[in-house]
Amino acid sequence: MTGPAISVEDLRYSYGDLEAVKGISFEVQPGEILGFLGPNGAGKSTTIKMLTGQLTPKGGAARILGEDITADDPDIQAQIGVCFEEKNLYLQMSALENLDFFASLYGIKEPDSMELLRRVGLADRAKDRVQNFSKGMRQRMMISRALINKPKVLFLDEPTDGLDPVTSAAIRKTIKEEAERGAAVLLTTHDMFEADELSDRVAFINEGRIVALDTAENLKLKYGTRSVKVRLRDGDGVREEHLELDGDGSSVRLAELAASPDLLTIHTEEATLEAIFIELTGRGLQG
Amino acid sequence: MSRTVSRGAIIAALLKKELVAYSRDKLYVFLTLLTLVAVVALFWLLPDSVDESITLAVSPPVSVLVEDARDALIAMGATDEQLAELDELDLAEGEEGIALVEFEAADQMAAVIEGSLEAYRTDDGVLILRDKAAGEDKPEDAHRVRVDVGIGFPETFITDVATGRQGVTVTVYEDAAVPEEIQGAMRSFVREMAYQFAGVEPPVTFADEEGMVLGEDRAGNQVTMREKMRPMLAFMILLMETFSMASLISVEVLQRTVTAVLVSPAKVTDFLAAKSIFGTALGLTQGLIVLALVGALTATNWPLLLVTVLIGAVMFTGVAMVVGSAGKDFMGQLFYAMMLTVPLIIPAFSVLFPGSAAVWVQAIPTYPVLDALVGVTIYGQGWAEVWRSLLLATGWLVVLFGIGLFTLKRKVESL
Repeated sequence: MTGPAISVEDLRYSYGDLEAVKGISFEVQPGEILGFLGPNGAGKSTTIKMLTGQLTPKGGAARILGEDITADDPDIQAQIGVCFEEKNLYLQMSALENLDFFASLYGIKEPDSMELLRRVGLADRAKDRVQNFSKGMRQRMMISRALINKPKVLFLDEPTDGLDPVTSAAIRKTIKEEAERGAAVLLTTHDMFEADELSDRVAFINEGRIVALDTAENLKLKYGTRSVKVRLRDGDGVREEHLELDGDGSSVRLAELAASPDLLTIHTEEATLEAIFIELTGRGLQG
Repeated sequence: MSRTVSRGAIIAALLKKELVAYSRDKLYVFLTLLTLVAVVALFWLLPDSVDESITLAVSPPVSVLVEDARDALIAMGATDEQLAELDELDLAEGEEGIALVEFEAADQMAAVIEGSLEAYRTDDGVLILRDKAAGEDKPEDAHRVRVDVGIGFPETFITDVATGRQGVTVTVYEDAAVPEEIQGAMRSFVREMAYQFAGVEPPVTFADEEGMVLGEDRAGNQVTMREKMRPMLAFMILLMETFSMASLISVEVLQRTVTAVLVSPAKVTDFLAAKSIFGTALGLTQGLIVLALVGALTATNWPLLLVTVLIGAVMFTGVAMVVGSAGKDFMGQLFYAMMLTVPLIIPAFSVLFPGSAAVWVQAIPTYPVLDALVGVTIYGQGWAEVWRSLLLATGWLVVLFGIGLFTLKRKVESL
């Protein structure tokens, strides 16, 4: 198949009178990670629910691997993997049984369950019941379950929310590997660091609308300011100087400072995604 | 990777998962085993006989009545036929279900029935009276005799009625617990006896007893408590499995594992099919096990019981779907379980009490299932007798199971 793995055009959804998704459009190419960045209630999860067949769109169109999502085609469901925000695992079953069960729903006769558990660092707990797992272990289980069918399209809803840095890093590594394998990844998060690190492109979603969609670098260039922070020795103390790189005479001043014997450090000061989001929407990502 | 999975394979995978989930939950397993053991134990512990006897007391003793009357009747020129009747008079002694106790005096008999005196009989048949209030000891080697009904005859009763004397008074003493029909029967018995000796047709006609028995005449073969429990236990086990099934559904809904299933190639219809099959199989299997353990399943009635329990199992699966979908937590589920299942249990109690169930009880959806179970397991009825109940039960099945499917479908689609 050529073309986008996910194609969305003017997609809409409302819960009663509340319009949760107000006509969003985007595409995700195979092997690309699109970060859906927005605060709680922005419409990220509703979008994923529509794309995975859990909700029927109230307007617009969306295609997964070229197929209309409203067609309810089991072949398309067989090509997607979903990692939910809720840890909806069968707690009374073991890690291995959970994966084998879902593999059987996809018609996989000999699943790579143990290999997947190894990838997420749970091979030694394969036969333990999930109810005895910690939050981080359950989240790693969620990722491995989403990968059981080697999906071409991967939907990850807040995959590292509330996890410790080590577990988060392990999960991010797995997501990158999947993208390298060729999977299109739609990642929703309100963690700007995660979006920045993982995403090839970032979509800012606020109040059901995409307010910006580009690479993180372009967004920073477009909405941030180019500046450096210079630290200089000042007698017994240290003083800082901020230089706008686009300002008049800034390059001359930067050269002077760089040549100064009192120079300690020079740091670039690019805008964060969160700062750009606030600039665009007037609200923070945690809201 | 594109592969097509058959609906059958998906449902089979879901059923396997249901079985694992069910067997892993200690509470379900415990409740199932406990219920199975408890109901079977309860069945075998219950009495398999019915105490049908009525203790009838007379005063004065029959011998006094007969001996005094014989001489008088001979002197009056009684026919051989009348004397033969007198000889045969045993006041129903030896009749099935009637034990006769003879008292010397009517006031003693009345005191025993009333409870102020206690009557004991030795193995030799000697009657001993004990005034407990007066501090008298309980007689040794004697067993207590409880008297239900006593008839106090005048000593000249037989000759009085034979000579047509008017105003003969017979007093009938009855314990308060004696059923009304027995009280009436005793009065009829006395009047009948009087008219036999008077040689005059009774002024009232008595109903033909055989025609009065409605349904199967089980006189002398009454339904024991153990027999009554057969359909009730099968019904109860179906109810228990409703709770287990509702809990399985509820967990799936509350933990939203169903959402994960439905983003795979599995569809809502697969999910509903698996739940329906598993719930029905669970109820059917255990219902039949219980019926087999209590000796209700026979080589001839098993197809009929299979169909009856199957209808019940599907019906209760529908109820479980409603309960499992309704509760938002354990307490909520318990609330809905109670609200929906308590009315459905009511017909089960109608088994325990004699007589037909009230019209409103018959309108409860589970009534025809229980009615069929009662018919087959207690009265040995066949298809010809229970088909109406099964037809009605099937109608209710469609309604309840339909509501269950609709409710659960709506619930999982709204998650």
